[in-house]
Amino acid sequence: MASKKRSRRWRWIRLLVQILVLALFLYLLIGNRVGATTFFPGDLFFHLDPLTGLSAMLAEKRFIAPMLLGLLTIGLTLVLGRVWYSWMCPLGTLLDWTSLRRRYRNALGHLSQWRQVKFLVLVAVLFAALLGTLSLVILDPITILFRTVTSGVLPGLNSLTTWTETRLYRFDALQGFLDGFDRFIRGHLLPAAEPYFIPSLALLALFIGILALNAIRPRFWCRYVCPLGGLLGLVSRVSLLRRTVDQEKCNSCRRCARECPVNAIDSEKAYVSDPGECTLCLKCVENCPTRAIAVRQQPQPVEPELEGLTRRQVLGSFGIMLAGVALLRLAPLLRGTEQRRLRPPGSSEDDVMNKCIRCGVCVNICPTRAIHPSGTGADYDGVWTPMLVPRLGYCDYICNRCGQVCPTGAIPGLSLPEKQQTVIGKAEIDQDRCYPWSQGFNCQVCQEMCPLADKAIELDEVNVTNGEGLETVLRRPRVVRDRCIGCGLCENRCPVPGEAAIRVYPDDGEGEHRRRGRL
Amino acid sequence: MSTIDRRQFLGRMLTLGGTALATAAFISLLSCSKEPNAESDTDNTTPTPPPPPPGDAAYLAVARGESPTTLVQRSISALGGMERFVKPGNDVIIKPNICGSGRTPEYATTTNPEVVAALVALCLGAGAKRVRVMDYPFSGTAEDAYDNSGIAAAVRSAGGEMEVMTSMKYQDMPIPNGRSITSCHVYQDILDTDVLIDVPIAKHHADTVLTLGMKNLMGVVDDAPGYHKADMAERVTDLNTLVRPHLVVVDAIRILMQNGPTGGKLEWVKQTNTIIASHDIVAADSYGATLFGKTALDLPIVHAGARRGLGTMDLSGIKIEEIAA
Repeated sequence: MASKKRSRRWRWIRLLVQILVLALFLYLLIGNRVGATTFFPGDLFFHLDPLTGLSAMLAEKRFIAPMLLGLLTIGLTLVLGRVWYSWMCPLGTLLDWTSLRRRYRNALGHLSQWRQVKFLVLVAVLFAALLGTLSLVILDPITILFRTVTSGVLPGLNSLTTWTETRLYRFDALQGFLDGFDRFIRGHLLPAAEPYFIPSLALLALFIGILALNAIRPRFWCRYVCPLGGLLGLVSRVSLLRRTVDQEKCNSCRRCARECPVNAIDSEKAYVSDPGECTLCLKCVENCPTRAIAVRQQPQPVEPELEGLTRRQVLGSFGIMLAGVALLRLAPLLRGTEQRRLRPPGSSEDDVMNKCIRCGVCVNICPTRAIHPSGTGADYDGVWTPMLVPRLGYCDYICNRCGQVCPTGAIPGLSLPEKQQTVIGKAEIDQDRCYPWSQGFNCQVCQEMCPLADKAIELDEVNVTNGEGLETVLRRPRVVRDRCIGCGLCENRCPVPGEAAIRVYPDDGEGEHRRRGRL
Repeated sequence: MSTIDRRQFLGRMLTLGGTALATAAFISLLSCSKEPNAESDTDNTTPTPPPPPPGDAAYLAVARGESPTTLVQRSISALGGMERFVKPGNDVIIKPNICGSGRTPEYATTTNPEVVAALVALCLGAGAKRVRVMDYPFSGTAEDAYDNSGIAAAVRSAGGEMEVMTSMKYQDMPIPNGRSITSCHVYQDILDTDVLIDVPIAKHHADTVLTLGMKNLMGVVDDAPGYHKADMAERVTDLNTLVRPHLVVVDAIRILMQNGPTGGKLEWVKQTNTIIASHDIVAADSYGATLFGKTALDLPIVHAGARRGLGTMDLSGIKIEEIAA
């Protein structure tokens, strides 16, 4: 009776901790977008995550102070083991809840070598970072979840909500309720403006793929692939607290080995667990019929049941990474073909490539939806880095939020006056599409929109004879290149359907820089 | 592997089909468009002209003086008081010009907050159930624009509500009197409200010479850039045949003389300390033009409005009450 009581308690405590951490994650995500002052900083999880911090510092060869918070997680792991896995990781929690655990029983007698894969992934991520490529950080669980929620789940939820609301709003009887409902969720849970992002589908597909892996093994992703799991697994090999089996009490019922959610218990070796794998979920403790299992301090580090990576594996993975990075680095040569790669205000191509951990915090906060996670385009190395797409959203003149929230400084934290003078790109007029240039009637939306007091778009009056033979005065827009900061409001609001007749391109100097490449 | 017999199979298929049908029916029910609540007078090909004002009320009131609040109060009372427009229990929407988030009120690109607040107070005083203030800024977020314009704070302290114009309320509406455009994607509450008050700021506009009451109504659609075609004046007038404000109050406390609509320098702003009010949008706009040394004939949109019968641009034929306050 007593044992049952205790076991339930641990299960509920773990569930409660998981819910609280996940709730905190979502609260910070939404609070970050709304601009609410949250008790914790909005990028707390990116700093707690030692993998993003380590990668960012390796890639940039610079010490990033807030990333020290990652040492908290490392310290926790040193004491308790891999508790991040089963108690804290928000992505892990979701995968935990979607695992079909009841259908699965561990095969006895061997521990799968597949678990080594995550160490290889970890080595690959860190090597790539050392070589200056942060693309592989897209495999980090915190970035995966943040990016998916921000750029995939919320836009989907939002469009579904708006679609339903719009149709229901036609019924007078429902208007009062909808009005209240809409006010309640807009600007809080859902953004006030419709979010839509270019790679939403790809992001959701990746996430669904990770969920689907649960069908092969419960928490397949966490056990075999996750690089953060690999990192904390390595640390937990020397953790202070260990799972122990009292051989006097153990009746070799094998229940713990069969039901261990991470298959860390070896039934052939007296039911000891691999400390690099055990996540302290306490399921075996609560289920052991003879209460033989306990978690206690163990001064002597136990040799892990599984060997770590061999030198050959490490060198091999380094070789593969070198080849991979070398191939990715061909991309700058291709970037010249992709003409419009606009970065958030103040961040150069180098900043983005060396510092961006692809977390999506800037995408989340941009109130005018200028920032999109880039697709691959010509350049796989820059996948899901922030890119401005002016036709879909412009950089608001009185906003500098992206630089304030970037956890790694890939977007510099400019003051508003600084940002207002920072050149993102330069607008150019497509005279073949522009109405006054090509169709002979006046339109000067771009000039109206330009937020600068000294407009970067001026109008030249010309006398022309139109198609009907009448003399008219046309005012043709012209960009004053020195003034233009490339905010993209003109391109965004250009009334020409389809591709705008005024478009923002990277500034010349920047373009040269890109063509030269970085390796 | 469990097997099912034919009967079970057919049963399941029926259930599946039924569910699919029910879902489809539900979706089509949601998708069916409600008949637009067209006004009874819109089956004519021309819009109804504004009626003459009741009793000895002025057709158009112009107040000049120091205090914006007093100017609003005096001009509205010359028109017969807010009770002429707002009945007890009415729902009122005030549509100022809050065109973007980047400017504070002294740049004269957004409507004077005191003017908006005075109108809110008058409406509430006349017994309005609810007074909402809204616009669709073309740059920045609505919240930022509302705050920076000073209008949010002024309206809230006067007892009104700021409403962020939300996606769900935009509906496709036919424009029965439309010539260049025959439908628009318009904010439904603007059409449904009991009283709509149009409160433009008088300012220079690069494209349409000036922006006044008629042009200000472009803020009730969410596809305004699409109106910029060769026949823009007709398009804006088409929209004005559908969206008919009950009262137009032109804020000319500060006016922007050049580089509108977005301005950005105080030297372009002129202090004119004037409020113009009328139920006739064309008359109000025509008077507004005179502050810039122009007439309605110089303004393609107002001129088109007069031709199409939305009001009169002949200022000599109407009763104008000039007030010094």
